[in-house]
Amino acid sequence: MSARQPGAAKHSQAMFFQQRAGDKVRNPVLQQALQKARPLFVGKRAKGVAALAEDGLDGERLRDACAEIRHRALADLDVWLTLFEERALATGAEVLWARDGEEAAALVVALARQHGVRKVVKSKSMLSEEMHLNAALEAAGIQPVETDLGEYIVQLAGETPSHIIAPAVHKTLGEVEALFAENHGRPQKPRNSADIPEMTREARGVLREHFLSAEMGVSGANFLIAESGTAALVTNEGNGRMVTTLPPLHVVVTGIEKVIPTLEDFATLMRMLPRSATGQSISNYVSLLTGTRRSGEHDGPQKTVFILVDNGRADLLGSDYQDMLRCIRCGACMNHCPVYFSLGGHAYGWVYPGPMGSVLTPLYTGIENALDLPQATTGCNQCGSVCPVRIPLPKLMHRLRETQVERGLRPLGEGLAFKAWGWLARQPRLYRLFSRIAARYLGWLSDPAPSGSRGGRRIRIFGLAPGWTVGRDLPVPPGPTFHERYAARKRV
Amino acid sequence: MRVALYVTCLVDLMRPEVGFAALQLLERAGCTVVVPEGQTCCGQPAASAGQRAIAVGLAKKAVAELEGYEHVVVPSGSCAEHICNGYPQLLADEPAWAARAQAVAAATRELSQFLAETGADFVPDGDFSGSVTYHDSCKGLRGLGIKQQPRELLARLPGLKLQEMPECEECCGFGGAFSVNYGEVSTRIVDRKCESIAGVGADVVAGGDLGCLLNIEGRLRRRGDETTRVLHFAEILAGEAVK
Repeated sequence: MSARQPGAAKHSQAMFFQQRAGDKVRNPVLQQALQKARPLFVGKRAKGVAALAEDGLDGERLRDACAEIRHRALADLDVWLTLFEERALATGAEVLWARDGEEAAALVVALARQHGVRKVVKSKSMLSEEMHLNAALEAAGIQPVETDLGEYIVQLAGETPSHIIAPAVHKTLGEVEALFAENHGRPQKPRNSADIPEMTREARGVLREHFLSAEMGVSGANFLIAESGTAALVTNEGNGRMVTTLPPLHVVVTGIEKVIPTLEDFATLMRMLPRSATGQSISNYVSLLTGTRRSGEHDGPQKTVFILVDNGRADLLGSDYQDMLRCIRCGACMNHCPVYFSLGGHAYGWVYPGPMGSVLTPLYTGIENALDLPQATTGCNQCGSVCPVRIPLPKLMHRLRETQVERGLRPLGEGLAFKAWGWLARQPRLYRLFSRIAARYLGWLSDPAPSGSRGGRRIRIFGLAPGWTVGRDLPVPPGPTFHERYAARKRV
Repeated sequence: MRVALYVTCLVDLMRPEVGFAALQLLERAGCTVVVPEGQTCCGQPAASAGQRAIAVGLAKKAVAELEGYEHVVVPSGSCAEHICNGYPQLLADEPAWAARAQAVAAATRELSQFLAETGADFVPDGDFSGSVTYHDSCKGLRGLGIKQQPRELLARLPGLKLQEMPECEECCGFGGAFSVNYGEVSTRIVDRKCESIAGVGADVVAGGDLGCLLNIEGRLRRRGDETTRVLHFAEILAGEAVK
């Protein structure tokens, strides 16, 4: 891969992960929101996947099938993209290509200007976050309105999504109420979860006006289906239907890796995508958008434009990281990630959080600009074991760590310490001596257990590894090392 | 049956009792146990940190030490996982080493795997009585499929009552260097584990990986829990726990 400095890097805060992570861990409101959401996500997926058996389907074999479809699409990506373009053109749509996010945003702005657009309604799209589309539209004097409820909340708060399928998961009900009161021009009320339907209706009323007055709709696509030139959209709130059918102009922005060969492939992937994301057997809405309004039809856009965006994806083809392009953006990896649910998505500093973000952010914004992300993992593989397309996420994070070492991006002291330790570990006699001294040193640093404790001696502040004792004691060894005692035993 | 016991560096330094418990259990199961002399560390920390060259060096050292034994037994899921899954990958491109790494990997078992596979009628010495909740460590569980083996072995102690905690398969937040480099995040994760443990209220938290156990014990003590004991399953099976 090239060592170019991608344009995306300038918007990334991923280099400040350590500071951000500390802030997030110590934020009780955020922790409350995350603690509430985590078991719901995990429980719903588990139930959804278990229910596959009712349809006589084996979840593990289905994961194999989904991985294979995505792999097959990526193996001949150029072929499927060319076919998609050909078929989409035949339906009357336009197809544009963008090298990066900036170019893609400029194309959207140009289309809006060309058609005299003053307001754009948007259905949820993470790629549009890569493009900083809202900022680009605002700079051109065009009003973007997010219409996914979570995205709408995030937009009112002036924030970015903290989760790829639940953008406002970091917000508590109280915070949402304060935003709605302020922006909908009404006094704040005390709220509990029973009020959620009423608050949703309130947002719906506001959004309805926007749907009816916008001249342009922007959506993403969960998949592009090559054989029919179709954009597939998987949604739950119905806003996607409004965005893609009410305004006269519909623009689909999506990454080039989203193409799949056939409608049958789509049917297979749909067995896994909603179950992995929300546990649903199928989402409330599944839209297959093909072409424009034909004569005699009453709805649909008069013009459909696909903008297919690279923004770093083509560089991954044929690289050690190609498997990452299989991702179908279900969010299961972050939903099962202990690190994600300790921090929320904003700690990660760029568009994509969680395990998939810890792989994508360095790859799309520069490995040197996101050094912490592939390190900030316990290696538990809870992500890899739920990924519907079997992306080996821990392995890819590991490969990124190797690349950091190869490129000299790790602290000098760390490399030297590993070298010294690696050498020592190959000199057994010296190593024995060293561990004997270490055992005594740890004992010397330690305090006795308090009276009545069933635990042992422990170190409360450990200068050599202060990160450990920031929140934990270090239980210390009771005396001589194993090998010391074993050698003594053999001599007897 | 001749068995090589690979003690692991963490057990050697931090909890030698686990090594002796493993030794005792293997002998009790009828094995002739050898502790290969030069063993130090399997190299997993270096591999995990992306220090491939150092990891390769330590992998070769361990392969040379451990090859030739019919069985290699490791009282740690993560070290065993590194030997079984990591070594063949690290040495795949070196023709002189690839087959040797695979042979050592094929001979290597984590302790509960080995005891469950070879000693169906094996009765442990331990006379532990009380309740135990079991934490499934990630590498053993998701890397080697260790789940039922330690539970089945513990169930052979008549006085032991297994009380499963919610989310026993959830990571404890240890992650090796992660626990030091991202101490606050790691603490937040292990806090949730401690809440699960507190909720079930067992006398003992048991597991098969010392790193996780030190992490959990360290956090429990810092939270002021001085009564819940944190033990390797081998310590319970061998009867060390009652001492």
